[in-house]
Amino acid sequence: MSVSPVVRERGRLVAGGGAVGAAATPVLVIGLVAVGGFGPLAAAETAFAFGGLWFGLALLGWAGSVASGRAIEAAQEHLDADTNWTERRSRRAMARIGGFGAGMMLVAPVLGTLVG
Amino acid sequence: MFPKRFVLKRLLLLVPVLIGVATLVFSILHLSPGDPALTIAGERASQEFVERIRADLGLNDPIWVQYIDFLGKVVRFDFGESYVINRNTTVREIMANTLPVTLELALYGQLFGILFGIPLGVLSAVKQDTLTDHSTRVGALAGISVPIFWSGPLLILLFAQVLGVLPTSGRISSTFSVSPIRVTGMVTIDTLLAGEWDMFKSAVRHMLLPSLVIGVYSMALISRMMRSSMLEVVRQDYMRTARAKGQGAKITVLKHGFRNALIPVVTIIGIQFGGLLGGAVLTETVFAIGGLGTLLVEAIEVGDYPIVQGTVLMFAFLFTLVNLVVDITYSYLDPRIQQ
Repeated sequence: MSVSPVVRERGRLVAGGGAVGAAATPVLVIGLVAVGGFGPLAAAETAFAFGGLWFGLALLGWAGSVASGRAIEAAQEHLDADTNWTERRSRRAMARIGGFGAGMMLVAPVLGTLVG
Repeated sequence: MFPKRFVLKRLLLLVPVLIGVATLVFSILHLSPGDPALTIAGERASQEFVERIRADLGLNDPIWVQYIDFLGKVVRFDFGESYVINRNTTVREIMANTLPVTLELALYGQLFGILFGIPLGVLSAVKQDTLTDHSTRVGALAGISVPIFWSGPLLILLFAQVLGVLPTSGRISSTFSVSPIRVTGMVTIDTLLAGEWDMFKSAVRHMLLPSLVIGVYSMALISRMMRSSMLEVVRQDYMRTARAKGQGAKITVLKHGFRNALIPVVTIIGIQFGGLLGGAVLTETVFAIGGLGTLLVEAIEVGDYPIVQGTVLMFAFLFTLVNLVVDITYSYLDPRIQQ
């Protein structure tokens, strides 16, 4: 079964962010244990909450871009205040950030189970 | 024709918004200092008692288990019971009492903004570069610039202290009791429905200052947007054609210009409703009106997490719902949007 290029591109964006998030989680956990004085499980839980922040923010940003992006673009054009912001680029950025947060939220429980 | 697909698409967008807000609130509350079990038990409680509460609330479970559990409850709109503010009462019940207060305030503020903002914007555009236009623009600029925490006390000082014509706080005079006639929870509407004119008059008088304070910003923004939109529309060819065919200036503006100029204004009305809800938090505090905003501030202060989660999600839900209504209106004004 072939996957459409659009879906493949979107998947690549989210997966790219997810890979970075997944790689950043052990670094954050080790940093929290070594520098912050956290226990291993508490550090993994904090990493999960951090991931949640990024993921929640990205979901809101993505939904906001989809819902109001065109209107914002039109308003910018209307007010002659072109900031180079576009709905498409905003959605792509939010997909990356969301992937990053989701990556952290997926890896943190694995680390927590291993060290907890 | 009712734009079913368009509305369905917009309704589906509610899902990521609510999951996003729920995840954000959950994460922020878990990253912020404080122990809910200790908040419930009190500072002097034994460690054993605190531990029992932790176990009862499921706080001993790993955060990811708590998160899944929390999302499951959010779907059912179940935020549990209040820890501190109103113990043994569900957050849903507490919000059912306070939500109408905030809605009433935001709706009157919005109404004030629309009723004054749109005509002022049209007037300003039609009388471009005259004294009327300059006064309206300066007024709009002042309205956008003046913060609620400053304009609120100042208006109280003028209308309540100096002139003595309007009450300073509350939703209705303390001589009345609105509980027996509660239908919607909005005092002005409930008193009107019950035909209690004295109570209605008192409620309207109490609502005037807060609505004015919260609505001025909205009015300023709408009038500015309406002016620039109208100025653009009046220069269009179809407007010139209508005038050339002998149609009067007023009719041309109202019949052909108004609807087209309204399109960007409707978007602004929806977007800044979030500002009104945020403003309601401050306005409720300044005028001692016990609404959702005051409840949220109080819950944050005492660490009542279920109420914080419930109220923030309710604000997000309201904001998204209003934007949905705006989108539908928008699609009626400009059917191309549905494509």
